[in-house]
Amino acid sequence: MAYQHNHEAMGSQVHAYKADIFCRDETRVDWHSKALWLLREKRDRAAGSLPEWEQLRQLGSEIKLHTLTNLAQYLETFEQNCLANGIKVHWAKDGAEHNRIVHEILASHKVKKLVKSKSMLTEECHLNPYLEQRGIEVIDTDLGERIIQLAKMPPSHIVVPAIHMKKEEVGDLFHDKLGTKAGESDPLYLTRAARAHLREQFLSADAAMTGVNMAIADKGAVVVCTNEGNADMGANLPKLQLHSMGIDKVVPDIDSAAVLLRTLARNATGQPVTTYSAFYRGPQVDGEMHVIIVDNGRTEMMKDKILAESLKCIRCGGCLNTCPVYRRSGGYSYNYTIPGPIGIAVGATHDNTNSIAWACTLCGSCTYVCPTKVPLDKIIHHHRRLKAEAGKLPYGKNAYMPLVGKFMASTTLLNCSMGAARTALRILPGSLLKPFSGAWGKYRELPVAPNSSFEAWFKKHRSL
Amino acid sequence: MKIALFIPCLVNQMMPDVAIATLELLEKLGHQVILPAGQTCCGQPMTNSGCFDAARSTTLKLLNAFKGVECDAIVCPAASCLVAAKENFHEFDNSPEAQAVINKLYELTEFLHDIAPIPAFNKPFAHKISLQLSCHGIRMLSLATPSEQMGPRFNKVEAVLANIAGIDIVYPDRRDECCGFGGTFAVDEGAVSAKMGKDKAQAHAATGAQYVVGFDPSCLLHLDGLIRRQQLPIEIRHIAQVLNAAL
Ligand code: SF4
Repeated sequence: MAYQHNHEAMGSQVHAYKADIFCRDETRVDWHSKALWLLREKRDRAAGSLPEWEQLRQLGSEIKLHTLTNLAQYLETFEQNCLANGIKVHWAKDGAEHNRIVHEILASHKVKKLVKSKSMLTEECHLNPYLEQRGIEVIDTDLGERIIQLAKMPPSHIVVPAIHMKKEEVGDLFHDKLGTKAGESDPLYLTRAARAHLREQFLSADAAMTGVNMAIADKGAVVVCTNEGNADMGANLPKLQLHSMGIDKVVPDIDSAAVLLRTLARNATGQPVTTYSAFYRGPQVDGEMHVIIVDNGRTEMMKDKILAESLKCIRCGGCLNTCPVYRRSGGYSYNYTIPGPIGIAVGATHDNTNSIAWACTLCGSCTYVCPTKVPLDKIIHHHRRLKAEAGKLPYGKNAYMPLVGKFMASTTLLNCSMGAARTALRILPGSLLKPFSGAWGKYRELPVAPNSSFEAWFKKHRSL
Repeated sequence: MKIALFIPCLVNQMMPDVAIATLELLEKLGHQVILPAGQTCCGQPMTNSGCFDAARSTTLKLLNAFKGVECDAIVCPAASCLVAAKENFHEFDNSPEAQAVINKLYELTEFLHDIAPIPAFNKPFAHKISLQLSCHGIRMLSLATPSEQMGPRFNKVEAVLANIAGIDIVYPDRRDECCGFGGTFAVDEGAVSAKMGKDKAQAHAATGAQYVVGFDPSCLLHLDGLIRRQQLPIEIRHIAQVLNAAL
């Protein structure tokens, strides 16, 4: 597929480069932007219908902050209660350890096929290729996830992973992989075909795996939310069930989980609650239930007070839907499994192009959308500072920013060259900022230059 | 009141008309207005890029221009520069003198709404205007309730303009979506920035308004470039220019 090809060819290019490519197909950009804005509008209606919305956000934020502050204690309580409920608990310090543990569990049960429901954590750990290399077939069972899995693409959004694909493209893909009629793009027809295909997978799977939306410490239970019921189909059919969670998923009790559940779906898709919100607190009769608790850089993140707040995130995707940059640059431009504002917040440290922290205008819409008040714009701004201090600036900033600093601090330099620039009807001074003027003028008309600065005008008209 | 003008570099050099309108309207309202010498830039282009070292001397130079200046308020007709100045002053100087400067900083709309409201307008402004609710002004200075936020709503920008006779205030679709300027974002991320600006300019034009009116000159300058590139039938105006025309 052209899409997959593009994605691979772009490799680890800077965000602006990938976004530029995405922007060349303006019809697709408009359609992508509109589809996601529709979710934002639904979210506004759902949030607006609750008089206590802002209180819920405040509570959500406090609950997460409180749990993170006392994380060790809540994780221990959670583990103890899980064990008491007959759940096996594993700890993984990173993605590699997580994958190894999962493989060991599956191998000891001779699992050949695993049905998985959407989990950004397993994406983060790159679990699928790891298991496939070891002879275990992994089937993603969320419709959107299955689509991109068949297309051999990573998710481009954390809640609607195939949002970048048009129904015609899905039709072609299904024709190719599932044998549906050629040229068929009717969503109902395609969904039915996917459903029949997935049913076969559920019935022939040896084990099921899900992510975790919340882990309830005092009950030793995990909450799994899906709209298609696929997690439950998976977890209830085979006898072996696995649940992977980041250490940040734990909450004290069922009341705190309830607060987050009330905002999660509303903020994600505008639904009052996710269609299937299941609580698992023990294995099936004769079955086994495993919970794998993963750190993978989270403890490190908590050492920085500002970055730590990104762990309040409940992965509703609201910040992606509202983000004007994400909507126009697509999920694959971010060099990280998680795109958009929250992707920058948790991914910028690992971004070897050092560019995603700058893929943001700092408009702050994400921060106001967030149901747990993750201060995303502040975190992104902070990442830029950390990158600058480490000498890792993109777009030539290492070279020109100190010059701009000197330049702006000098009244004479600024006045002289701005004067010259005005006379020459150029927006910016001399050759120092030529690249700026070039990039500006490529997309916009240059400003009409005034005759004099305000300072000069003031001297003439207001001085005695 | 005695007011010191804070005129950011962009306004001083590229949009002097905005500064002149600010000055004239404050004078018409009976204030004594001064322009402290030695102002350059608030340091925002650097700090927004993460380059705090590069921003230090610029920021301190601006701060020094206001330190010890006798006045009741320091007023700035550019929201994002004002926010940056406040934050950067605080970042680089913790002295009581610096705090005294910070305490007097107001964005123009904020000043006219919270501190010294306009008692009455003398002239009508019989035009349809589409308000540009720029991000830093609404989300960091609370000039209006951001659309993401629920509960009671307020809008200082509209409130300040609403009493002008004949004025017709409208909003573009996605009323407070970012226009895509974002300082160096406009050049680092040219394609996305331009697409955002193009969408915004079109949304403003689609209202049928004659002017896009805003409080942030940098957003207006970016929109102006895109409006003219697309030859849309709408023009930019700073809120100071509209207010000044009605006084
Ligand atoms: S940061 Fe907030 S808005 Fe974004 S996905 Fe997480 S919870 Fe949702």
